[in-house]
Parts: sequence; C-alpha cells; structure tokens
Amino acid sequence: MRPVPRFQVRPYLWTATLVLAALGLGGCKKSEPRQAGEIFIGYSSRDMSAEYTAKLSEAIVAQGKARNVRLVLVDAQADAQKQISQTENFISQKVDVIILNPCEFEASSPAVERAKAAKIPVVNVNSVTKATPDAYVGSNDEEAGVMAMEAIAQKLNGKGNVLMIHGIMGQSAQLQRDAGAHRVLAKYPQLKLLDQQTAGWDRAKAMALTENWLQAHRGNFQAIFAQNDEMAMGALLALERAGAKKEVFVIGVDAIAQALTAVKEGRLDATVFQDAVGQGHGAVDLAIKIAKKEPFEKDVLIPFQVVTRQNVDQFLAK
Amino acid sequence: MKFNREFFHRFGIIFVLGILITALSVSTESFGTLSNLTNVARQVSINGILAVGVTFVLLTAGVDLSLGSVVALSGVVCATFAHPGQYPVLVPILLGIATGGLCGCFNGLLVTRGGVAPFIVTLGMMTVARGLALIFSDGRPVANMSPGLTNLAGDVAGVPIAVLCFALVALAASVFLKNFRLGRHIYAVGGNENAARVAGISVTRVKLFAYTLCGLLTGLAGVVLAARITTGQPNAGMAYELDAIAAVVIGGTSLAGGVGTILGTILGVLLIGVINNGLDLLMVSSYYQAVIKGLIIVGAVWLDRRQARS
Repeated sequence: MRPVPRFQVRPYLWTATLVLAALGLGGCKKSEPRQAGEIFIGYSSRDMSAEYTAKLSEAIVAQGKARNVRLVLVDAQADAQKQISQTENFISQKVDVIILNPCEFEASSPAVERAKAAKIPVVNVNSVTKATPDAYVGSNDEEAGVMAMEAIAQKLNGKGNVLMIHGIMGQSAQLQRDAGAHRVLAKYPQLKLLDQQTAGWDRAKAMALTENWLQAHRGNFQAIFAQNDEMAMGALLALERAGAKKEVFVIGVDAIAQALTAVKEGRLDATVFQDAVGQGHGAVDLAIKIAKKEPFEKDVLIPFQVVTRQNVDQFLAK
Repeated sequence: MKFNREFFHRFGIIFVLGILITALSVSTESFGTLSNLTNVARQVSINGILAVGVTFVLLTAGVDLSLGSVVALSGVVCATFAHPGQYPVLVPILLGIATGGLCGCFNGLLVTRGGVAPFIVTLGMMTVARGLALIFSDGRPVANMSPGLTNLAGDVAGVPIAVLCFALVALAASVFLKNFRLGRHIYAVGGNENAARVAGISVTRVKLFAYTLCGLLTGLAGVVLAARITTGQPNAGMAYELDAIAAVVIGGTSLAGGVGTILGTILGVLLIGVINNGLDLLMVSSYYQAVIKGLIIVGAVWLDRRQARS
C-alpha cells in the first residue's frame, strides 16, 4: 500500500467548474421548461457524417423552426444500439412524436417497438424498419435501383459487364436498391454483373474497391452502379486517377451537391435524385399532423428522378 | 468503509459523478425520473460488462482492443443458433459466450506463450474477429431470433435483465478479486511481474485466465447486445473497446497494471453513461456532445492522477 496522500480540494473545484461550464454551454440554449400546447418532436438521425443524411437532417431542423415546434436532433452515428438508447431517452422526455431515420432494417426495429409500447407515435423517414411505424416518409428505394440500372442498360445498349457497389449490407436502402437493380438485370440477359462488393456507403472504401477492380478487371467492365453518391464519387476518383474514366459509365444515387457539380462538369455520368428536402419537410409536417391528432397519410412517397448533364441545372438550383 | 482521506483519494470520481447528477436533476425535468434512471442503467449495462472484463486484463498491465469485434462475432454466432424452434435458448447463449471465451483464450495464449505484446495481439484479434463475423454472417445481419432470446432485452420485476447481468458480473468480479487467491495474484502480476514470478506465482496461468475471462464477458456482452437489437450484426460494436477502457481508466485503474478496483470501474461506467444520457436530455447537438464527453473524460482522469501524485 502506498502512503495515503493529503486530500486536495482545488482540483475538484476546477473540474466542477469545467463540468458545469460544459453543461451550461449546451444546456442553457434550449432547456427551458415546456410551454403548454407546444409540440415536442424527437429526431434520431442515422449518421450526421454522411452528406445525404446531414442534408435530410438540416431540412428537418429547418422545417421544425419554420413550423415553430420544439425539435431535438440526436445522431446515432450508424449504431443501432445507440439509436435504441436515444429513443428510450425520448420516451422519458415524453416527446409527442418521434421521427426516426433508421440505422438498420432489423436492428432499429426495437426502437420503433419501444416507442409504440410507450404510446408515442413514430414517423420513419428515408429508410424502413421491420417493425411498422405509424407513418413513413421516404422514397421507394427499389425505384432508384431500377432507374440507375436502366440508365446503364440504355447507355450500353443492353450489353456489357457491370460492377455494383453496395451500401451497408442489410440496410433497407441497400436491400431495395439491390433488388431494383436485379430486376433490370433480369430483363437484359447480355448485361452481366461481373462483381459486387460493399463499401458501406463510404467514399474512401469505394475508392479502394474500384482501384482493386481496375487491377483485376480493367478493360473488362463498362459501368459501375454505386448505391449512393459518396461511393460513386469514390469510384469516379479512382477511375480518373487511373485514367480509365472514359471506359466506364458511373452512376450513383442521392444527388448530393458534390455529385451534381461533378455531373455538371461532365465527370460523373449520372445520379438519381433523392429529395432530401422533400422528405425532411414531409416528415416534420406529418409529425405535426399526428401530434395535433389530425388525419394523416400512412405512406408519403417522394419520387426519384434521373439527373444527367442535360437536366442537372434544375437540380443544382434546389 | 470510512469516509477518510483515502476514500476521497480513491473515489474522487464520485464527486464528478455527484456534480453531474445534481446538475442534470436541476437542469432537466426528465433526468431524475424512474423511467430515465432505468434507461441509464440499461444503456450502461453492455459497456459495464465489457469494462469489468477488461479491468482484469488492464490489471495485469495488458490491454484488449478486440472487445468491439468480439462482441459482433459472439452476437452473430448467438443469433445464428437462435432461430425459433431450433435449439433450447441456452444453446445460443452459451455458444455466444464460448465464442468470446475462445477469442480471449487465443489472445492470452499469444501474449503468454507467444510473447507478443498485448497491443499487437489484440489489434490482430480485432481485425480477425470482425472478419470472422462477416464470414459467418455472409456480411448480412442475422435476423429471425427466437422470442426466448430477444426476451433477454426485457425486464424482471421492473429491472432490465441486462442490468441484472451487469450487477451479477460486477459483484462476482469484485468478490473474486478481493477474496480469491487467483484474484490477488492478478494484482501481484500487474504490480511487478518479476516479483510475482519469484514469489512462485505462475504468471502465464494468471494472464491466460485474465484474457479468457475478459473474452467470456465480451461474449456475454455480445449476447446481450444481440438480444437488444434483435439481430446478430457483423458491424455492431464498432469502437466499443474505447468506451470500456475509458470507463476503467476513469475508475482509477492504472494502465501500468496492479492498481484498480471493480467499484471504480462501475463508477467510470456510470459516469460515461450519465454523460451520454444527460447530453441527449439537454438537447446538446451531437457535434458538441463529442467534444464535451472527451473533455469530461480527460478532466476526470486528470483530476484523479493529480490527486494520486500529490
């Protein structure tokens, strides 16, 4: 045993000050008590570090302000476990409605079930869960897969080798975009899926994957379908660096700002526009309707559109 | 236990926790409610089980970076054998725990017999276990778990089962470290390996035990997580080792080995849990949350070390 040191008070005071300052910094902003009749919405975002989800969240927060409701945004950082915890926290805060941007089809389901057990309505936005929420605002992701693969088929005249880059396996967007793509592939027997791998929605991983594909199959593939734009940008960068872009048609999904600019510059061939602002505003409007106990639609579908160099300007304006 | 200087020295962390809890109870309506405190307990239990396990390894002056990946692998194995009507519910649970134990045992063997640094061994295991989880699950979440297993995410008499697991594990670990010979040998080995060897303690056996036990508890955490998210997720548990090790270090366990208690670890786990929960309740933006959490963790440890030096 070491000798027992003298107890000092000062460091504790310092830390106490630090902790209180930290809490004050975050706390004083919005934690005033709830006013009667004020609508209180909790929103759990899948992952704020991905451009599309960040854009969606921005739209949701902006619409919350515009409609004058109290809206809390939390970030699940792509961890379904965290998302369930956040939902539990919303339940003890007694929010009126929860907007959930699910991390994963199965693993985020308990979040929906917990909220329903606590009689708090849930609106899923952008992705679906196995458990049925009270309402869904999003786009039919299968349609995006169909549109992208159809664009490839047209470009290649129904003949050639295609590579597909998947998002995080098991997420509803990945499963449905995959299903849509396969529906089109089944229609064109001479359009072959040469290989398919996941890059987890991540640009750097998609870039590495494409570099490896160039090593293995260069000259033997004519198109890449990336299930989101982040990965399409990664594939594009790898192709450009290897001087192989001219040989390969690249299409992504989401129409994030960087992808639109790349389409405008003639670097990226196409993307499928997913309406983040439409989804975000739709989700908040629906949540408010539910909170006010007004009649509401259970499924609000926002359509996709293919963006190419011809029509990119109208999307850049949005 | 006397509330003397030694007590304050050892558990300075209690002050930080106390201040946080008081501040949160005053500044939010919901923090002090029973439902929220149950939430906090439920949310810390997975990290708690991991932290208790890794306390054993840190006490031997080792480290285990493979926790998160082994959680994912154990969860996937558990879910694969947990489809309804397949096996009795105990089979997937035990297989999940055994998977973790096996990974831990490998870590221990490589550290002791192989003489490779724990950092390297467990870094390797981190990648291998993640890969095995992806292979075993074919890269997809393993769904369709029997209700018998997902019920583990439920409550018994208002107390979440996960919390009961954590409490039992912590209690058993604490009693073991204090009152069993092997438990005291862990401190001896971590404090001074050569002295322990001279005193006739089998350093190899003690270390192997610590890594295997850590693995078994990681397996348990994997099973609890799979029950909570109703799937075996090959990409679950990313960076969980960092929260677990942070909790242990906040709780006063020395990374140099030989010093630390389970009680300290529990307090560290609670501190991290309360911070996570409180910042959500305070509606702090997630970007600020990361900064604040980091500052509080470093602040708490700095305080503790200052106190220890003086």
